[in-house]
Amino acid sequence: MTARASCPPKVGVVIPALNEADAIGRVISALRLRCNYPVVVIDDCSEDDTVQIATEAGAQVLPLAARLGAWGATQTGIRYFLQQNFDIVVSLDADGQHEPESLPELLKPVLHGDADVAIGTCPERVSRLRLVAWMMMKTTSGLRMEDITSGFRVYNRRAMQQLADPRATLFDYQDVGVLLRLQAAKLTLLDVPVQMQERCGGSSRIFHSWLVVGRYMLQTLVLGLSKRKLGRPMESKT
Amino acid sequence: MILWISASIGLLVAATILFLIRRDKLHVRHGVFWLFVALAFAGLGFAPSFVDWLAKLLGVGYPPVLAIVAIIAVLVIKILLMDIDQARLEVQQQRLIQRLAILEGNLQRRNKNDDHSSAP
Repeated sequence: MTARASCPPKVGVVIPALNEADAIGRVISALRLRCNYPVVVIDDCSEDDTVQIATEAGAQVLPLAARLGAWGATQTGIRYFLQQNFDIVVSLDADGQHEPESLPELLKPVLHGDADVAIGTCPERVSRLRLVAWMMMKTTSGLRMEDITSGFRVYNRRAMQQLADPRATLFDYQDVGVLLRLQAAKLTLLDVPVQMQERCGGSSRIFHSWLVVGRYMLQTLVLGLSKRKLGRPMESKT
Repeated sequence: MILWISASIGLLVAATILFLIRRDKLHVRHGVFWLFVALAFAGLGFAPSFVDWLAKLLGVGYPPVLAIVAIIAVLVIKILLMDIDQARLEVQQQRLIQRLAILEGNLQRRNKNDDHSSAP
């Protein structure tokens, strides 16, 4: 056994943020109250006080020189922690939807080696229309995860390496493309039921305009179809 | 007459491409493609019978249609190649932006460590 294997795993938290001044402070404070993992906020060129509030709340803020979108920001955090030899990365939204109380539950399977990726799932949170959208995405991509758009996830080092790769850079969102890449690498993905809240302030990057929703759906369906694993459907554990 | 116009345009475009490469306004990689296109235009202008011969060989009733379809196909391929190239550049740009943020993070950590070590 190596010396590294005997040490407790290093866990870091990544929060991509764009104009989340209303909620980011509360999210970071709640996280720091429950765990002492380093929290890194990737600021996607916010125009409000997100950077200042996040810094005051005790997070390290990495500012992006140009807007990269939610996945580009998350990948920056993953690359940052990978460079510092972290073993596990947690990603969660800056809008207060994800409950830090659920973090131990979500971390457990990855810490115990039962899964490479744990996905916090809460299908009850979404509208019927969004469930239809999920069904279409699952049909085209062959993915069998419960909540394929959840940003509340835990990745181990193998998953981090997969996602830090340049081939994972062109994804716009942390959903179908990311999950298909992880499955193609034969990593184990696990659905973990968690509690989620309504977002506090700010607005969703996708679900604020029908035009954006339409574009997002088209892109995601084409991406899922083109990267779909040929043969039998993919499986996930719960 | 139209054939002479086509030949003249081809030669003019070819000369412009060479001029742009000479002035470093166009990458030679792209210039080579456009030079071939321009020369093909000029060639068709000077030897119109080639299209007629090819159309007859392929069983196309109206030869100009063959020339137009061929041009459209070449342009579609070129646009596709441009999109592929743009995706490559986009990846490079995003990785650079990410790297800049990571370096800034490393700098913040170093400064913080320096502050802690220099504190009395």
